[in-house]
Amino acid sequence: MDSSAYISLEDVVFSRSGRRIFDGVSLEIPRGKITAIMGPSGTGKTTLLRLIGGQLRPDSGRVVVDGHEVPKLRRKALYAFREKMGMLFQSGALFTDLSVFENVAFPLRVHTRLPEDMIRDIVLMKLEAVGLRGARHLMPSELSGGMTRRVALARSIALDPELILYDEPFAGQDPIAMGVLVKLIRDLNSSMGLTSVLVSHDVPESLSICHYACIIADGRVIGEGSPEQLREHPSGQVQQFLQGQPDGPVPFHYPAEGAARDFGLSGGVS
Amino acid sequence: MIERIAAFGRLGLDTVSSFGRSGRFLAGVLGGVPRPATGFPLLMKQLYAVGVLSLPIIVVSGLFIGMVLALQGYTILSDYGSEAAIGQMIALTLVRELGPVVTALLFAGRAGSALTAEIGLMKATEQLSSMEMMGVDPLRRVVAPRLWAGFIAMPVLAAIFSVIGIWGGMLVGVDWLGVFEGSFWGNMQSSVDFVDDVLNGMVKSVVFGFVCTWIAVYQGYDCVPTSAGISSATTKTVVYSSLAVLGLDFVLTAVMFGDF
Repeated sequence: MDSSAYISLEDVVFSRSGRRIFDGVSLEIPRGKITAIMGPSGTGKTTLLRLIGGQLRPDSGRVVVDGHEVPKLRRKALYAFREKMGMLFQSGALFTDLSVFENVAFPLRVHTRLPEDMIRDIVLMKLEAVGLRGARHLMPSELSGGMTRRVALARSIALDPELILYDEPFAGQDPIAMGVLVKLIRDLNSSMGLTSVLVSHDVPESLSICHYACIIADGRVIGEGSPEQLREHPSGQVQQFLQGQPDGPVPFHYPAEGAARDFGLSGGVS
Repeated sequence: MIERIAAFGRLGLDTVSSFGRSGRFLAGVLGGVPRPATGFPLLMKQLYAVGVLSLPIIVVSGLFIGMVLALQGYTILSDYGSEAAIGQMIALTLVRELGPVVTALLFAGRAGSALTAEIGLMKATEQLSSMEMMGVDPLRRVVAPRLWAGFIAMPVLAAIFSVIGIWGGMLVGVDWLGVFEGSFWGNMQSSVDFVDDVLNGMVKSVVFGFVCTWIAVYQGYDCVPTSAGISSATTKTVVYSSLAVLGLDFVLTAVMFGDF
């Protein structure tokens, strides 16, 4: 893998409500590449993004992004640091009281003192990049799920960030919207030279665009490498996840006492 | 038994930690100097939402409460032949007590619950998180303008409530029941003191406005981001605000008027 890691997690331990989410996760995310972080639901993929963005602090371990140790940044420095970072939330998280245009203009108005005509040009360019220049007057409630995510994507690249974090970008999308998002993520990464971190459990789409991928389960990294390396990975758990097999190292049945006893049978059923 | 004691202890710890969190939250909201260029339009928008949109309920309630006070006052005072004193009775009751208290209760129900639901929904739909990730502090951008708007709007609403109430009292007392208009206004002017009554009433409404809005924005910001969580936070806002207003009203009244 690329030696210049943009993000590095070292032995990160994180618990919430008494439950250990990460138990010594170490991971390096290369600069200028698309890295997919995959894993079953509830394994803490979104939590990982929040640790990278400094919204959560690990119990122990280091989270280093572009040379900054994120958990140790003070509030003001953390907010300044986040200006270099864009995040696409699963719900889009558009501001419901602002139009599409104003949503994309929001970070520009807050962080820059650009004149209004320049803000307009930048916003229209960003909306053009996601194919929604014509939808600038619409309100978020008038958008479909796919359009919402595209507007949110335009907003997250408004300040030309170095890093984009995508939280489940493909979840709940129809095939066309999914294709559009795959294309946008790939194009944005190559044209802007971004470092992209993609959290998803949509295996084919994620592996089709990422340069590097890792799979997290049970609080640790169970497999990592290029998409080709992962497809050949010897771990049964990795293969079960990639191929979507219903039973395997992750059992179909939730642990329970013997079926014979539950059903009141004297024998013959195991 | 031990479990009950433990549960009681846990409740105590949760309550204390909630007070601590709300204090830190308040410090985060009020800390730092707002930028007038961005802060002023946000404040105006919230003043409209919290203040102007609360006007109908405040005006209508003020009118009816003033009218009821006049009717009740007339019934009682006429037994002693002193119905001319209803002007001062209505004014003192409204300015000292009912103006600040009833306005605060209505404010908690109308504006407070709306603030909690709005901020809670912004949290549930990740709008607050997305703002944080854009390098914008939601405490300053979302919460601070709402807190200041409530703080400013509440005393003005309480003053409007009292004025409308006195006018409603006059409608019933003078125009309907026939109390002499000169006595109605004259007794009021001679007995209502600006500092002791009007200013003390204003102080109450400032305190109530601050407490109600603080509770409302904190409950929204601290809620569990689910529909049940928002519903529970909205209920808590109304309940806690009402209890806080009534409790504080007793304390403030004792401090202001309890010097016997």
